[in-house]
Amino acid sequence: MEDRGGSPELFVFLASTVHDMKNSLSVLGGTLESLLVKQEARQGVGQGVGQDAAHDASYPQMAHMLYQTRRLSDNLMQLLALYKEVGKPTYPFEPVTVPLGELVHQVASQSRVLLEAKEIRLDLDFPPELLWTLDEDLVIGVLCHAINNAVRYTRDRIRLAIAEHDGMLEFRVEDNGMGFPPSMIEAGAAVGQGVNFLTNSSGLGLFFASEVAKMHRRRQRGGAVRLENGGPLDGGCFVLTLP
Amino acid sequence: MAGTYITASGAPVPEISGVDWSEKRYLIVDDFVGIRQLLRESLRNIGARHIDQASSGGEAMTLLGRMHYDVVLCDFNLGEGKNGQQVLEEARVRNLMVPSSVWLMVSAEKSVEAVMGAAEHQPDAYIIKPITEGVLLTRLNRVWHKKQVFHGIDAAYIDKDYLRAARLCDEQIARHPVHEIDLMRMKATLLLKAGEPDKARVVYEKLLEEREYNWARAGLGKIRLANGDHEAALQMFQGVIAENRFYIDAYDQLAAALELLGRHEDACGVLERAAKLSPNSVPRQRSLGNAALRIGNVQLAEHAFRKCLAIGEYSIRRTVDAYLGMARVCGMKNDTKEALRLLAVAQRDFPGDLVELRSKVTEGLVYHESGDFRRARKSGDQLEAMLEGESRRPHTATCIEMATLLFAVGVKEAPVELLCHVVRNNHDNAVLLDEVQKIFDKARMGEEGAELIAAARKEAAEMMNEGVLLWKTGRLAEAVAWMRASRERLPDNMRILFNSAQMLITHMQQQGYDEELMIEANGVLMHVDSLAPGQQRFAQLVEQLQELIPRRDAPAAGGVDDPAGTMEDAAGGKAAPAA
Repeated sequence: MEDRGGSPELFVFLASTVHDMKNSLSVLGGTLESLLVKQEARQGVGQGVGQDAAHDASYPQMAHMLYQTRRLSDNLMQLLALYKEVGKPTYPFEPVTVPLGELVHQVASQSRVLLEAKEIRLDLDFPPELLWTLDEDLVIGVLCHAINNAVRYTRDRIRLAIAEHDGMLEFRVEDNGMGFPPSMIEAGAAVGQGVNFLTNSSGLGLFFASEVAKMHRRRQRGGAVRLENGGPLDGGCFVLTLP
Repeated sequence: MAGTYITASGAPVPEISGVDWSEKRYLIVDDFVGIRQLLRESLRNIGARHIDQASSGGEAMTLLGRMHYDVVLCDFNLGEGKNGQQVLEEARVRNLMVPSSVWLMVSAEKSVEAVMGAAEHQPDAYIIKPITEGVLLTRLNRVWHKKQVFHGIDAAYIDKDYLRAARLCDEQIARHPVHEIDLMRMKATLLLKAGEPDKARVVYEKLLEEREYNWARAGLGKIRLANGDHEAALQMFQGVIAENRFYIDAYDQLAAALELLGRHEDACGVLERAAKLSPNSVPRQRSLGNAALRIGNVQLAEHAFRKCLAIGEYSIRRTVDAYLGMARVCGMKNDTKEALRLLAVAQRDFPGDLVELRSKVTEGLVYHESGDFRRARKSGDQLEAMLEGESRRPHTATCIEMATLLFAVGVKEAPVELLCHVVRNNHDNAVLLDEVQKIFDKARMGEEGAELIAAARKEAAEMMNEGVLLWKTGRLAEAVAWMRASRERLPDNMRILFNSAQMLITHMQQQGYDEELMIEANGVLMHVDSLAPGQQRFAQLVEQLQELIPRRDAPAAGGVDDPAGTMEDAAGGKAAPAA
């Protein structure tokens, strides 16, 4: 209930700067996506994964630029959400009821171009009609970030699976890479126990995901995140559970 | 129901929603050219062909004035001039949007105004940047679907038939579980408007069993407040704010609770915090200015009214109150010249009969407070002359303000007439009658005032009883005519208005539908609602009135339990109608 610290002028200045950065990143990401799609069409890629898309050396480089742009955009979103006010982690939370089909469609279409360019297949396994109440923008943000992360670790497959287990909804983002290094698994466990593990950028993503999970409360239960190795693809698994 | 999709592209095809987005007209409003191109690209990809663009709020207003758009994608942050919220407000207030059109507000981040419903006019959805096609299409389809679900409810809401609208919510909840939370929220709002706080409470409590919704908790607080349980309401609002500092509505409610408890300083402090969190709301800055004036904090009042004028400049919600308030502040700072300039602006920019009266009162107060009693007296004389030439009277609060000033500057007859008018129209409001008596006491007219109050109350009661008597003895047409005349004399008397509407409705229930009586009854009820919204009897009468309207699609008769309704006499007792 105390007043906002810092000067209002500074706050307005920061807000407008962030607005500007977001615009630039949007344009950068959007332009890269459309260039990739055009190239794909020109080279007749996209008929299926596994075709040789590297006629043009710039294609994989652009794909990597898109990946980096996405990371920037994700990190900016997370920082904004966590430090909505200068130095105060608060964020307006807005739960809405959505069918999982709509949620997954939004996540998958956001990752589509990047995954195609990187020749990674996305498998989906979820009950599309199931309704769940959650903060849609936050959860989409967490899942897209987890998929982006998996792009770095995976060989050529990522799986997004959602299922309900005794009143909790479990989202799993799995890959067929080498799995998370032990330090990351520990970081996941530490975040789960409420320890801030902000040593690097992956720590930020994990911390943000954990904050988002905790914001979701229903009948006295809260959400959580954890990291595992194994699963059907025998790689790294990011797990988000929501009440 | 688990479906496994394995796609190369990773994008499952969304359910076909039955909406053809290619035939619609689109408007993109953004000050950043790159974003406009990006959005245009996305819209083309979902099949759109008619796309217009605007790079500023002003340009958007011009286009909106020329053409009805089906979908508006508007950035919240538009640089200089109007912001997206102000464009939306003006478009809604000027009716430039048809009910079916979709307004999507785009913003770089979730702002307080955006998510917490701090603004009165809400867009259909907010989309956070960066926008992707999947998100855009999903949200467009969802908004369109929700509009279909709410169509009948919104129509009943506009007719103020709150009880029917609440029943429609129940029907839609059964059909569309995906919208259950929104429908329950709407239902609770409707029940509150219909004067059924206990039923609204049940809805909120059911929602809160599942999850902690700020608005539901604040809704319970509002009900407590309305029941006179100010302390409990206070604690609820404080709890909501502790849980979520951004839920602006709770601050406004908390301030209202503090006012009712007589803690004006604290109320002002709460409004000040709310205004810091959400500085761009004209009504909030105005309440803050008025609260600050009440506790004599001139500096804070000045700041609030200045802000009010600044944000009002681009907003359709610019109101005269900020000018009058600012003029008072200037008077307190002994800057009469600036005060008079503001009053001149108010009268120039806000044409309307009551603005002249209110400006004149403010002028008198400014002179009076700055110690220029000669000029204050002159304003009082002018105000008296204006009142003589005008039979209509403004709302109670303004009447009391005028009477107070007139007594202060030494005018006598006009304020007495004003106070009698107030008493006649509020003859059973004990709190207000006390306030009027105090004004008489202060003017050293205590005994005379008490007699005047008694006489005015008696006049109102007699008028009421005569109408009820005619009605009870079965002379319906005469009763209706009598009440019509009573309304002329007592235009704002709630009892008279309610009974008058009840008689018109009963008359039609017995003698058949009549368009003129229908329009008259509707006018009376809308006037009641503008005086004091949220009354149970209002909702019941509107429902009865709506049922009388011959519908072409003639639904099965809803059946009125008590077609004759109930009539209250002046004593407030229920009287059974004579059949």
